Amino acid sequence: MIRHIAGLGRRGCELLEAMGRAGLFLAQSAVGVPSREGFYLWLRQMHFVGVLSLAIVMVSGLFIGMVLALQGYTILVDFGAEQALGQMVALSLLRELSPVVAALLFAGRAGSALTAEIGLMKATEQLSSMEMIGVDPLRRVVAPRLWAGFVALPLLTVGFSVVGIYGGYLVGVEWLGVFDGSYWGNMQSSVDFIGDVGNGMVKSLVFALVVTWIAVFQGYDLIPTSEGISRATTRTVVYSSLAVLGLDFVLTAVMFGGLS
Amino acid sequence: MSDSPFVVIDGLHFSRGDKDIFRGVSLNIPRGKITAIMGPSGTGKTTLLKLIGGQLTPDAGRVEIDGQRVHALSRKVLFRLRRRMGMLFQSGALFSDLSVFENVAFPLRVHTDLPEAMVRDLVLMKLEAVGLRGARELMPSELSGGMTRRVALARALALDPELILYDEPFVGQDPISMGVLVQLIKRVNEALGLTAVVVSHDIKETLSIADYVYVIADGQVMAHGTPATLDVDQDPRVSQFVHGEADGPVPFHYPAPDFRHDMLGAGGSR
Amino acid sequence: MKRSKVMELGVGLFMLAGILGLVFLGLRVSGLTLGPSGDTFTLEANFSNIGGLKPRAKVTMAGVNVGRVSAIELDTDWYDARVVMELDGTLEDRLSRDTTAAILTSGLLGEQYIGLSVGGDPETLADGDSIRDTQSALVLEELIQQFVSNMVSD
Repeated sequence: MIRHIAGLGRRGCELLEAMGRAGLFLAQSAVGVPSREGFYLWLRQMHFVGVLSLAIVMVSGLFIGMVLALQGYTILVDFGAEQALGQMVALSLLRELSPVVAALLFAGRAGSALTAEIGLMKATEQLSSMEMIGVDPLRRVVAPRLWAGFVALPLLTVGFSVVGIYGGYLVGVEWLGVFDGSYWGNMQSSVDFIGDVGNGMVKSLVFALVVTWIAVFQGYDLIPTSEGISRATTRTVVYSSLAVLGLDFVLTAVMFGGLS
Repeated sequence: MSDSPFVVIDGLHFSRGDKDIFRGVSLNIPRGKITAIMGPSGTGKTTLLKLIGGQLTPDAGRVEIDGQRVHALSRKVLFRLRRRMGMLFQSGALFSDLSVFENVAFPLRVHTDLPEAMVRDLVLMKLEAVGLRGARELMPSELSGGMTRRVALARALALDPELILYDEPFVGQDPISMGVLVQLIKRVNEALGLTAVVVSHDIKETLSIADYVYVIADGQVMAHGTPATLDVDQDPRVSQFVHGEADGPVPFHYPAPDFRHDMLGAGGSR
Repeated sequence: MKRSKVMELGVGLFMLAGILGLVFLGLRVSGLTLGPSGDTFTLEANFSNIGGLKPRAKVTMAGVNVGRVSAIELDTDWYDARVVMELDGTLEDRLSRDTTAAILTSGLLGEQYIGLSVGGDPETLADGDSIRDTQSALVLEELIQQFVSNMVSD
């Protein structure tokens, strides 16, 4: 019994220590003087985590918008309120689905790749040799990836919303015959730029930071063996997903919970 | 000045988890010579190099490079000190996203503001020295193990360091590339007069190029001397290692209970 | 460092698409207008019960959207609800003094909004004036209660 409690305490200490390491890691790598060289490194990572994730995020956005419209229509039509379809699609996407689903896809597509890449660099001693050459790998390897993720995910989220709303339009207006004036009109009268679009973007920024942070930290902190890399990659996806969903609840409660 | 050792290690203690790796290691690495650090696998020879480079922090003891205490330096000063060191990693550790040319140019680009033409000249000079000038456009994934290590040597030499650390340079090489590397290390050292530390357990090759040898076992310096004196050392442990005998004071078996007892006991009592 | 023009272009287009998307969300989805949106005037109206009216609800006249509710507060002089509306600037000094405001519901379960209807008074409402003639929201429970008590008293 006492052994179990001691074990629990040890796990707690380890967790706290890991969180401390992660915090220090973030502070050391995110803060730095921007340079021309750094800009190009960032650009390259933007291409990797942003541009190459565009396809999967856009396609998912289109399908989710279409499904939302289809499901929403069958419910709303019972109340004779199918005019509210645009509002329903837009609000669910902007406030909730775009930030969360885009972040989950991002964790799977880009986050795991970042972990594996940095992990492999660690396993093949590239990070150590960079240190020995006198270049801080936190600045050179981690910082561009961190910043690229932080910028890319909100942009992907915007894309997800736009495509999703268009998908809803395709199904609702073109297929199910909702009047397109009321699709856009109802949407415009109910969506508030700051309250809905803005809060969705704030969520997305928070998720971007958390997912990228988890991904690069797991890559940097892993045990440099093939088993260690595969475990860390899995951990990146699991931890990011849990963090995104958990934080989403907290943020929703703060942003929309007290909405009068 | 030039007589004082370049690297001084004094009373070094280091442990990883519950396992003690060093229990009071002290050694001096003389200026302008090749010093070999040898010992059986798993005695923490690579760890020792990482301690010298300041990548790991010891539990006790000190490491001094040219009079500077490595572990008392700030991150910034430490990185400046590292520009005077080159390290050749066991795996080569070339940056996999850069070509051979860019790999060798990397230290020059980050630490100097030389014009492109001069960077090119310097890189080609270093690559010529390791005989791989023709491979400059290849990516690291296209190189063989021996070539990878030679490129890594060229990169380690790019900034003309004063101290160069070799981590197991001969391991896993075929006889030809091993011979090439042995010659290369010796030649580079003679030509540039730098201080070299070779960590290895390849006895024959290492003894042929080293000026001074430390043998480490059980977390302590077991013996030290020139290759000639070690060869005739009477200590059975040293002679077992130097002459490569399979069994002796350093046992072939990992500590285990009596063999017969283990075999018979397995079926009955468990 | 190798610089690929294709990659730079890709990232540039990606960021441009993101910014354009944000503009789309602003203009088309949340209905922000780039024009001078400051061209409005405010009217107040007191209601004895506003039901489920919320800030940002629309204000209509003959079914046409002419503004939105900007604030709802309790009037401590009369203990009723004071609703502040922002109306289209073109209507300033055009609404008669006896304009009525009613809280209406779109459909059976829809959101509540304010409907204005003009009277015949030659004098007009200016910025900051208040509408006297108001009609509160229909609260379903009160209606039922009234109906039941009428039945009992009969």
